[in-house]
Amino acid sequence: MLLAGLGPLIAFSIRASAPDGLVALNLGGLIATLVLMLLAEATQRQPFFDLAVVSAVLSFAGGLAYARFLERWL
Amino acid sequence: MTVGEGIVWVLLAVGVAAPLLGVVGVLVAPDVYARLHFVGPGSIFGPFALALAVVIDEGPFSQAGLKSILVAILLLGLSPVLVHATARAAYVREHGSLSLPSDAEEPPE
Repeated sequence: MLLAGLGPLIAFSIRASAPDGLVALNLGGLIATLVLMLLAEATQRQPFFDLAVVSAVLSFAGGLAYARFLERWL
Repeated sequence: MTVGEGIVWVLLAVGVAAPLLGVVGVLVAPDVYARLHFVGPGSIFGPFALALAVVIDEGPFSQAGLKSILVAILLLGLSPVLVHATARAAYVREHGSLSLPSDAEEPPE
């Protein structure tokens, strides 16, 4: 069900302006992290939780890089 | 179904519904600042409800429980920073700098 939320966000970020797309990217990163966490719990594989931790940190770093980039150059 | 399982299912429903409602909000809101408001509830209720569900299911000191708490705390700390940076980028993009429009009208002293 959470994955069903990603489709509209991707379609929205393609059509919308750059800052709106960045908002969609923020929420998309959050949803991807939660999906990875639920998958790790559902399959009962402990190492998969590391993927959720890494995804949380990297979606933050990626979003911040995009924000700085939008602010200065685009 | 035991009481614990019932609580886990309720938390799962909350944790899935919060980000999905955020998605709906982002799609229907009028401008970028209004859209940013809808990232907040999904990034607070979603991770914490799911982490609490994992903790109740697996136990607080299991590897899964600790890592899901870590994810929830990371998202709680990092996503407001990201929302702030996005709002700042949108404002600077729109107005050219961070100063308020009223600042420019005042004569320099």
